[in-house]
Amino acid sequence: MATATEQPRGAMTHPDVKSYGQVNQEILKALSRPGKGWWALLALSVAGIGLFFTSWAIQIVKGIGVSGLSSPVGWGVYITTFVFWVGIAHSGTLISAILFLFRAPWRQSVYRMAEAMTVFAVMTAGLFPLIHVGRVWHAYWLIPYPNSRYLWPNFRSPLVWDVFAVTTYFTVSAVFFYLGTIPDMAAARDAATGWRKKFYKMTSLGWRGTDREWHHFSKAYIYLAALATPLVLSVHSVVSWDFAMGIVPGWHATIFAPYFVAGAIFSGVAMVITLAVPLRKIFGWQDYLTVKHFDALSKLILLTSMIVLYAYLTEFFMAWYSAEEPERGVFWNRLFGHYWWATWIMLVCNGLVPVLLWFRRVRHSISALFVISIFINIGMWFERFVIIVTSLSHEYEPFAWGVYRPSMVEMGILIGSFAWFGFWFLLFTRLLPAVAIAELKEVLPLPYRPRPQEGGAD
Amino acid sequence: MSDGIKRRDFLKVLGAGSAGASLVGCSTDDVERLLPYVVPPEEITPGVATWYTSVCRECDAGCGIWVKTREGRAIKVEGNPNHPISRGALCARGHSSLLGLYNPDRFAGPMVREGGELRPISWEEAEAMLAERLQGAGSNVLMLTGSAPGSLGELFDDFVSAVGGTRVEHELLSEAPLREATRIAFGRNVVPAYDMERARMVLSFGADFMETWLSPVEYTRGFGRSGSVDDHGSNKAAMVFLGPRLSLTGQNADEWFPIRPGSEAAVALAMAHVIAREGGDAGPYQPVLEAYTPAVAAELSGVGADEIEDLALRFADQAPAVALGPGLSGHHGNATAANLAVLILNHVAGYVGRTVRVRNADLGAASQSYAEVREATRRMSADGVQVALVHGTNPAYGLPRDAGFVEAFGRVPFKVSFAECMDETAALADLILPDAHALESWGDSNPRPGVYALQQPVMERVPHFDSKQAGDVLLSVAARLGRDLGAATFYDFLRGRWERAYDTSMGSDGFEAFWSTGLKNGVVTIAEVEDQREILRAPDVALTFDLPEFTGGDLEFTLQVHPSSRLGDGTQANRPWLQELPDPVSKITWHSWLEMNRHTGESMGLRNGDVVRVESPHDAVEVPVWLYPGIREDVVALAMGGGHTDYGRFGTGKGVNAMALLPSLVEQPSGALVLQATRVQVTPTGRHRRLATIEGADTQENRPITPAVALAALGHAEADDHAEAEGEHHDELQELQAYGGFVPVATEGRAEDFPLPGSQYGDYDPDENPRWAMAIDLDKCTGCSACAVACQAENNVAWVGEDQVTMGRDHNWIRLERYYETVDATHAGPVDVRHLPMLCQHCGNAPCEPVCPVYASYHTPDGLNGQIYNRCVGTRYCANNCPYKVRVFNWYTYTGEEPAFDGMGYAPEPLNWQYNPDVTVRTNGVMEKCSFCVQRIRETENRARIEDRPVQDGEVVPACQQSCPAEAIVFGNVRDPNSRVARVVENERTYRVLDELINTQPAVHYLKKVTFHEVEAGEH
Repeated sequence: MATATEQPRGAMTHPDVKSYGQVNQEILKALSRPGKGWWALLALSVAGIGLFFTSWAIQIVKGIGVSGLSSPVGWGVYITTFVFWVGIAHSGTLISAILFLFRAPWRQSVYRMAEAMTVFAVMTAGLFPLIHVGRVWHAYWLIPYPNSRYLWPNFRSPLVWDVFAVTTYFTVSAVFFYLGTIPDMAAARDAATGWRKKFYKMTSLGWRGTDREWHHFSKAYIYLAALATPLVLSVHSVVSWDFAMGIVPGWHATIFAPYFVAGAIFSGVAMVITLAVPLRKIFGWQDYLTVKHFDALSKLILLTSMIVLYAYLTEFFMAWYSAEEPERGVFWNRLFGHYWWATWIMLVCNGLVPVLLWFRRVRHSISALFVISIFINIGMWFERFVIIVTSLSHEYEPFAWGVYRPSMVEMGILIGSFAWFGFWFLLFTRLLPAVAIAELKEVLPLPYRPRPQEGGAD
Repeated sequence: MSDGIKRRDFLKVLGAGSAGASLVGCSTDDVERLLPYVVPPEEITPGVATWYTSVCRECDAGCGIWVKTREGRAIKVEGNPNHPISRGALCARGHSSLLGLYNPDRFAGPMVREGGELRPISWEEAEAMLAERLQGAGSNVLMLTGSAPGSLGELFDDFVSAVGGTRVEHELLSEAPLREATRIAFGRNVVPAYDMERARMVLSFGADFMETWLSPVEYTRGFGRSGSVDDHGSNKAAMVFLGPRLSLTGQNADEWFPIRPGSEAAVALAMAHVIAREGGDAGPYQPVLEAYTPAVAAELSGVGADEIEDLALRFADQAPAVALGPGLSGHHGNATAANLAVLILNHVAGYVGRTVRVRNADLGAASQSYAEVREATRRMSADGVQVALVHGTNPAYGLPRDAGFVEAFGRVPFKVSFAECMDETAALADLILPDAHALESWGDSNPRPGVYALQQPVMERVPHFDSKQAGDVLLSVAARLGRDLGAATFYDFLRGRWERAYDTSMGSDGFEAFWSTGLKNGVVTIAEVEDQREILRAPDVALTFDLPEFTGGDLEFTLQVHPSSRLGDGTQANRPWLQELPDPVSKITWHSWLEMNRHTGESMGLRNGDVVRVESPHDAVEVPVWLYPGIREDVVALAMGGGHTDYGRFGTGKGVNAMALLPSLVEQPSGALVLQATRVQVTPTGRHRRLATIEGADTQENRPITPAVALAALGHAEADDHAEAEGEHHDELQELQAYGGFVPVATEGRAEDFPLPGSQYGDYDPDENPRWAMAIDLDKCTGCSACAVACQAENNVAWVGEDQVTMGRDHNWIRLERYYETVDATHAGPVDVRHLPMLCQHCGNAPCEPVCPVYASYHTPDGLNGQIYNRCVGTRYCANNCPYKVRVFNWYTYTGEEPAFDGMGYAPEPLNWQYNPDVTVRTNGVMEKCSFCVQRIRETENRARIEDRPVQDGEVVPACQQSCPAEAIVFGNVRDPNSRVARVVENERTYRVLDELINTQPAVHYLKKVTFHEVEAGEH
């Protein structure tokens, strides 16, 4: 008989999960026929996607002018939202790859939904550079492709780096995500009937669960995790260079890469909580997503929140310390200028609200965490808004200062982007096991058949 | 040259390639021999421009122009370098005449009103109808014209006397009080000419000589030469502005005396008093001067007696100086007296005959009298007019409401309008006989004694509009009536008049040669007669020099109504270029605004854009307020030109009509309409609008954007120390940049600095010779904005509409920035407002270039920042990264046949005829910016290559430099040590905006403004 100290670590995190069978049953039940609530949400997200593409179509037909962008603020809600979604996309790979390599005990329950979130968030983010450009029909010119005129993109431009960073990240995280689901697809295949069975038959690639398959699987998984790990750091560093490589006061800072990476993890983990709490509630996964998981996520938020706050303060300090008038002007304007409210939303949501997480009681209250995560999502969107808009509106040339007001079309696209993301996530909850069955089983106590003399039966 | 192919025949051949089909059916009978300036017609090649000289008719200054035509279409107006008035420069309004020519709202042809509706008819029918009505009208014919200088005015007079009737000239921007005062003072009914170039000090009593007063282009150039430091850093004439509001001219002054409205006469007389006391000759006015001591003037004007006395002594000391004005902002009830007082001041100081020349000048606008218009109105209301002919004026818009013009005009049984396009007066007319545009018409002018200019058609009449020159119509109608006016066409009339005036002193080769030369050069100048000594005469009318009366006596604010430097009296309100040109003072476009002192406004709780109700005893308007430090606290100002009710798609409904607030008052004895007539009450409405302005912050915020240097510090060791300190600073910066991995470059853009260190990192080829560069002398630049419109015309820069400008999407490639340094309306003292034309700086180390992902923004081997429109995908990163914010983005297609949304920029036929075929027309989604007129550079380079010679210095002239009336811009190859720009760059005043801060190495060098007052070393 195993003593407490000999138990696998998973037993600590999932004390109420008793058997492999229970896991299969409880996780796969989410893949059954959906209820009215799901259909309602799906309808809502489809309507939002309609809004999204209608707004975009208006913009393509009429011109990018239907946005509120102007001079000097040439980047606004679109780039803000782009960076927001790229940031969201961060934590999935962090949780699945980096924490996998570090053997963190609590990642198994949340990494699948975090990975799905990553893939869908990159799919969302990837649309925004297209939405943003003035002539989307020529956007492919950013891609280096052989052509008769020998015209290549400008490899000095951070926007070209962006193209590579985002597409690479999307490719690797999608492959990594898919690879991890294969054994679970097989489990789903074994349980499913009808068209779903055919679907899982295809997607599980004939997985049988042999030793040989497991051997290859785990090797592939660890290699991909190692490959994805630097990307976690690179993608948001590159996105941050979109700004840091510019000479715009408020952008041109060396701390941008770590600052953005920390911010991305911060916002991504918050989004994981935002998504995990309703799933846990709806599918009754309290045994799988326990308070201990949320506690661990909260600590990650707390850490990154402090890094982010430190970055904010560093920016303000350096602006003062540089003694450069434009730099100082931008940061003064941030706090007290036209967009003071955005800055204070950012500071309160990202700097002040997470302080609550120092308290164990807050970390252990699922509803409190949910509320805090919403605050952080809002705060992190505003962080990007503040960086982009307040800096541009208040640059070197005082006579050219100006303000930017987002238009209805931009709002439509912003809201629509959440619908687009939500649509894929809704499909994900019903088509793929949102909790990694196979990996969860690895951390459960080994099933054993009790000897008859010790009494009791399964 | 004169016997080549007729231009018209040539055009017919050429028409196949351009407008061939549409030219058919266009009446061309009166186009005779036109002579292009440089190239004889037989040598015209498609793709190569042909230039025709003419005369600008946008105001009465009479600037000579030459017009660039390509394939038979006029595409650009420039000042005629031969013409002594414009000497190659042109103002914003002059450039916009092309938009009048191609205005899509011009009448398609003659029309008659039947049952309230206008119906097209043929010219034949229209002329027959007019002849018939005139036949029956007897002597009850009224001809109401705008200023019609030269032969046209003579024809009008001949016509009116032939058919029996009277002619009344009406022009809102009249200088009748100045003319009357000159008559009183010197016995000659003329408008004096002023010599700014010789003046050692300029005193402007509210005369806006850089914007609208008499001859803005000529006077701006003159003051640009005298009022700026020369190459040796000295000889700068001071300008003192005396008036209640700083106009653009006032902003360019060195000192401001914010005197009470109407106190110009008292101050001028007090100054004359001081000078006379020191020995000046006041002639018969000595007793008047006795009464106006500096103390009296101080009492009336609100500035200190000591300051007036000091100014008078300086004015006498700085001989020769000149006192100007008071101009239209002094058109109050005692305007003639005020003008006379200024003339007395000039005379007492001994400047008449030196800088003030009392000679006959044919400035049409000065001759009319509003009293005659009132009389004509009375006759119309009394049914004493059977036929009214209106040409070149729009009294239904431009007169105060209680003048009763609209009602009186309505009583006339047959009203004929010669308007080119619909306006408020034409809307009341029974017969519309659309006049040809000035650029399609013959004419002449005599703006100065000895200067005769010919206005010739520069192209076939725009075929969309079946127009006919009014002179031809009148001659044809006179012929129908059996009256012989001595010519069949206006061309013959004009030529006949010149032939009669010709004598051998004008040229010894006979009239034919004289005429050809006149057409080719656009102007004939005859040796000037020496000035005679003017004797001051005693006044023959009663005058008072005290403060004038204002209606609405106890109301809080005196209303100043002034002509707009963009829209004039409202005639140019249908020109999108001008509507969208930021006002040089307020930087507001498209709509009207009420200027109010900043402190007054703030104490009333008003912010920029708060809509206020401005109420005079006569009417009220609602208009957003704009708070301005440069206006007295008891004065508010409203510009003319807004509030058209029927003036085509671009002019209607923009802003408010300031004239509505005025009473119909006549100034005595000149008979002019009183513009500064009333006090008003200002009440907030609680509503707010976002101003359509391009202004961000109005101060430099401690950045070295437009630093200045005090005159005393120029060329002194102190300044050198400062420069050295700057040099050290630069070294430090260099070191820091080296650590940071940046390209360490310290260059002042001088010839020896090339090739640029670090250029190996860019695409700059160090072996290529030209590095195109520009120098702008901010001591000369006045902020008049002519360059911005010239650029628009040259480079097909779109206009975008009021909503777009309000959103911050103004499109001009040149932004005239205006920063306040010292502006104080409470007492006399120095004024310092800095103007800076900001255009693409063509940086050697350009921040826009590395960030463009597709190389749309790139560096050309000759140092330009190229922008390839059709490679641009529109990421806008370049604009974000441009520290000068000179890149403008096409948020929509602003150049299409239809607007993207209502009120947005577009180019309907035939407005698009104006486009320069050498420059790409941009569409939706691409970035654009100043190209240094690369098309002109390439054209010059190609010509030089064909002729196998190097490009000469000064051969490439960008549109902004070409247009600049102040001669503030120099362009050339900075790597050629002998070029003018390379020498200017060596000037101790030269600096480059933000270069020290961010190491952009701009190719645009600015020369610091020079102030008379001290500027702190660290002050920017």
